[in-house]
Amino acid sequence: RQPGMAEGEAAGDAGLGPAPAQEGAELAAVIGATVPTGFEQTAAEEVQEKLGSASRISRDRGKIYFEVPARSLPQVHRLRSVDNLFVVVQEFKDYQFRENKEDALKDLEDLVKKLPWTDPLKVWELNNSLKKKKTKRKKHNLQSPASREKLNGGEERGADQNNTNDQEDCAQNPVAVEPTGGQDTEKPQEVTSRNGVEEEEDNEQSDVKVEVQATSESETKAGDSQTGEGEAKVLRFRVTCNRAGDKHSFTSNEAARDFGGAVQEHFQWKADMTNFDVEVLLNIHNNEVVVGIALTEESLHRRNITHFGPTTLRSTLAYGMLRLCDPQPTDIIVDPMCGTGAIPIEGAAEWPYCYHIAGDNSPQAVKRAGNNICSLLRKNESKDSSAALGVPLDIIQWDICNLPLRTGSVDIVVTDMPFGKRIGSKKKNWDLYPACLMEMGRICTPGTGRAVLLTQDKKCFAKALSRVGHIWRRAQTVWVNVGGLHAAVYLLRRTWEKAEERRSFW
Amino acid sequence: KLGHPSELPPEPLPNYEADEDFLRRLHHVLLEVEVLEGSLQCPDSGRRFPISRGVPNMLLSEEET
Repeated sequence: RQPGMAEGEAAGDAGLGPAPAQEGAELAAVIGATVPTGFEQTAAEEVQEKLGSASRISRDRGKIYFEVPARSLPQVHRLRSVDNLFVVVQEFKDYQFRENKEDALKDLEDLVKKLPWTDPLKVWELNNSLKKKKTKRKKHNLQSPASREKLNGGEERGADQNNTNDQEDCAQNPVAVEPTGGQDTEKPQEVTSRNGVEEEEDNEQSDVKVEVQATSESETKAGDSQTGEGEAKVLRFRVTCNRAGDKHSFTSNEAARDFGGAVQEHFQWKADMTNFDVEVLLNIHNNEVVVGIALTEESLHRRNITHFGPTTLRSTLAYGMLRLCDPQPTDIIVDPMCGTGAIPIEGAAEWPYCYHIAGDNSPQAVKRAGNNICSLLRKNESKDSSAALGVPLDIIQWDICNLPLRTGSVDIVVTDMPFGKRIGSKKKNWDLYPACLMEMGRICTPGTGRAVLLTQDKKCFAKALSRVGHIWRRAQTVWVNVGGLHAAVYLLRRTWEKAEERRSFW
Repeated sequence: KLGHPSELPPEPLPNYEADEDFLRRLHHVLLEVEVLEGSLQCPDSGRRFPISRGVPNMLLSEEET
């Protein structure tokens, strides 16, 4: 196959994107969403259920793509299994990079003016007007102080910059390195909204129109364009490039820089690393190239948690785990090692017809979880003018090996098991895991009960599981990435065998 | 037992599923009343478990396990 790239090939057969909107036809968008690796299928199911759209799962793990009408954007933002969203400008399933670095980069530059920017930019604009109310509430700049420090460092940092072989690297233009995706900032004072859009749901229809017309609002917040709607806007932008693959002759840094240069030429926008209006994404995974425009600035995954602990689980991962056990109305769902309560809180928010019980032995964990639950209650209060509705969620301080729950009374056990590296130790896990599995087996309803357990200590878990084969059967395993560590989520089914009745201490 | 106006009977009455008034009071106690300070008492042993800031502490002591 010729490594060369003929003129016009980019926009031709290899290119995929939504058909440009016809006169009078509704604006549609192909949305790309990043999801926790391993949960692409779960996310696709949620998209099908809530948006009615089928998803494509890309070979670049951790991403799914689906098409929706632009008016569905608010619902897209309410998806619980996605971390970040972007609108696809164009997708290339099999892009042929030229071997020579200069040629390959030149091709990327030339690509810019051929891409169908119009509709995606309309979607970006619409998305902006949905976001405007969220940013009003924030008192501080969207970029965390930590990332600003890194940017001031200027030149390239990180080991991978000049390594173009079999590496993943990521960069933005101008030359600086910063991890993409949200900065996870702790906001203890602020009640985190479930996502930026939801709170304004009631009056968003009329307000969106008002926002678009109210051009003279002078808000001095990051990312706000300086001029009014009617005049030509000078937008600020940056390009973020993620590159993976061993056959590229260039780094993500170089691609971001050159692509960014061409974007600047084409639109006459101003490049700005920190205060940008438009974030252009250039995702390169071997021969799969996706150009997109970001629709989220911070990752959605911290949305429910206001009080973090050392190992707080992402809400999107918590959601994925819960979905895996297929909760039914009236199910009792227990997280016996809840930490800050990420899983039960996500559970109570998304499956309100189940009852969620959280517990932990650590007083700090219980306190933090309690605070997170209070934040959730307060949020419900402000929405309703009448008395606050109860939340089907409770927290108890208890010992995982001596749970104050009756035998066979729980439908689902879902938890993030302690990882040796972060909490406790590997040696402790050796004893803890079998005891946990036994006790979880006792409280769980024989036959219909199930457990979804996340652990990094896969060896220890497998061994423990082999000892309780009469109680638990392994149904499914999902390989995931948690804070850079390779972990696994196990879906277990409770066998029909009854557990030994305990002496009634309770 | 709570000393609360919406008293509940000590045991569910037969056919409680159809008794809407009972169900409302039960729902209220389960989901809308939060015990902030107090205790839970085991009906068999009489052992009390303290509740502090809404959270019951059900850890057992060394002798109890």
